[in-house]
Amino acid sequence: MNNDIPLNWFLYFAAASFAIGLVGVLLRRNAIAVLMAIEIILNAANVNLVAFWRYGTPAPGSGPLPGVILAILVITVAAAEVAVGIGLILLCYRRWRVADVDRYDTMSG
Amino acid sequence: MPPTAPPLDFRDFWRIAPAATLALWGLVVVLTDLGLARRLGLEARRRVVGRLALAGVGLALISAVALFWLDSLAAVDPERLRQLLGASLGDYFARSGEVIFLGALASGVSVDILNFLYLILLALVIQLATSYRFTDDWGECLALLIWATVGMMFLSAAEELATLFLSLEMMTICLYLLTAFEKSRRRSVEAGLKYFIYGSVSSALFLYGLSLVYGLAGTTRFDAIERILAGTSTTAPGLVGNLAGASALLLMLVGFGFKIAAVPFHQWAPDAYEGAPAPVAAWIVTGSKIASIVALMKVFLHAARPWSFPSNDMMGPGWVGIIAVVSAVTMTYGNLAALVQTNFKRMLAYSSIAHGGYILVGLAAAAVSINGPAAAGALLYYLVIYAFSNLGAFAVAAWLVRDRSADEIDDLNGMGAERPLLALCLAFLMLSLIGVPPFGGFFGKLYVFMEALNQGPSQTRIILVWLVALGLLNSAISAFYYVRVLKAMYFRPRSGAGLKPAKSAIATPVLLSTLVVVVFGLFPQPLVDLMKSAAGPMLVSSSADAPISAPPAVSTAPGAAAR
Repeated sequence: MNNDIPLNWFLYFAAASFAIGLVGVLLRRNAIAVLMAIEIILNAANVNLVAFWRYGTPAPGSGPLPGVILAILVITVAAAEVAVGIGLILLCYRRWRVADVDRYDTMSG
Repeated sequence: MPPTAPPLDFRDFWRIAPAATLALWGLVVVLTDLGLARRLGLEARRRVVGRLALAGVGLALISAVALFWLDSLAAVDPERLRQLLGASLGDYFARSGEVIFLGALASGVSVDILNFLYLILLALVIQLATSYRFTDDWGECLALLIWATVGMMFLSAAEELATLFLSLEMMTICLYLLTAFEKSRRRSVEAGLKYFIYGSVSSALFLYGLSLVYGLAGTTRFDAIERILAGTSTTAPGLVGNLAGASALLLMLVGFGFKIAAVPFHQWAPDAYEGAPAPVAAWIVTGSKIASIVALMKVFLHAARPWSFPSNDMMGPGWVGIIAVVSAVTMTYGNLAALVQTNFKRMLAYSSIAHGGYILVGLAAAAVSINGPAAAGALLYYLVIYAFSNLGAFAVAAWLVRDRSADEIDDLNGMGAERPLLALCLAFLMLSLIGVPPFGGFFGKLYVFMEALNQGPSQTRIILVWLVALGLLNSAISAFYYVRVLKAMYFRPRSGAGLKPAKSAIATPVLLSTLVVVVFGLFPQPLVDLMKSAAGPMLVSSSADAPISAPPAVSTAPGAAAR
């Protein structure tokens, strides 16, 4: 593994993606954009998982589930989440005619 | 590095029989609804699909009870098991309490007890869901309720972070959809989207924390994580100077904080509970909360135990200090915000946030306790009583929505004269939520707080004593808003349309919840003992095959990521 890209680079990249996703979730008001930001966070975690799987040594008693399998499972979950999310956003859009999360404010307090 | 996976033991499938039955039965419900029941009229269809779903829950309940019986038999008389089930299966069941599916799930009596609890609650929620017409898609609605329960069962049985994440998602994705199920009302749709956004952001944060833990420990299994974290942090106990560990811990705490609606992360809860149809809100507030708290207990009390607190200072870097602060803020904020609510379900939402605070006191106590399982058992007892009290209260909310199409506290006016029996039940439930003896809620709080006061070293005790004092003060505050419900029922004249008879769909959950709260309030000891015995296996490493000999070969990650 001597000529590989160092592990740290992957971790920095993942941390940067995570930060971008988090900022997106907090600042974007468009529901679709929020959904995209969530996906970015999930993918940052995926990069971490795969990088740790590639570079780390599995601990004793760690079981058969390596990070790369978990990453595939996460991709599946993310797809399910997007399907549900888009459905919910569409439902809201049909009622309010906007996709702005700040406008959905029937309830508060 | 090709991993050599050990072969899967197919007998493991017997152990997940309740969850597997439910998962399949969800399909049966959907297909029957699609194929047969659509030809019936709306009323008949609701009845048929509701009965069908209940039948499935009954089947799962039978298998859960059978497993419980086998597991308790394994403790006393393994020979009998071999006679009953044959050599192969008998031997398998005699090794009760081991991890199954290559270490993904726990098994044993504690899992069976929780499964039983979920199934009873689910049966009541399904009853409640068929009590009034909030949707026309009964098949989908009940199937989603059932599948969410499958997620809860796996979540509280998970012994490994990947399984935990998957089952968490399985549970919450079903609940997002259910929250938005009353498509004709704006509030329901809005609640669904809000719940979805908060929930999926929190899962994403949790997953990032999980990936860091995986990097630090090189494994996702709780017992291995605990061993490795304990091995690396001998020089600097806790999290001093461990940036990656600290961020992993914080992110996982934030993720769980959202799920159990602890205070900085609670914004979704009141909206989701108010907007969701009452049966769904009941299931979020009971089932999802129990499952999340059990998972929180297992992750933090078991896997992340080496990170709990530095040995000399409970409030030092580590998760116990954070939990202590969060619990103080949560119970205070939840109770103060509940005081000004006029909507019954919203008030219950804030009350459930406050109860989350009391539960976190118990968690902090269990972490510093010399007798962790006892403290965790008190916590489980609290959760059972909390779940039934809230389920009954939400059943009354469903009743209000059905007959008065509103769920304000004022809609309860005059219920005491109109429906004396059920009003009395609701009064008992409210008193139990305040924590008035002799109801279950009192003993729940008593045991949790007593375990918190029951600690050894004086330094940690001071903080816990403060937390308990704050908890008692908060219980007093909470009396004000629960008593408003009693006042509305008994001292105000009826306003609005009269309540029609509750019928069994609503009366059963209310009566049964009250029965549980009263019976386990008068005789708390059996349930407390049961819960203590259930909590024991949750907090220790339960795998028999874990190799301990080799020093943990920590991956290169801790050093690299800590820089």
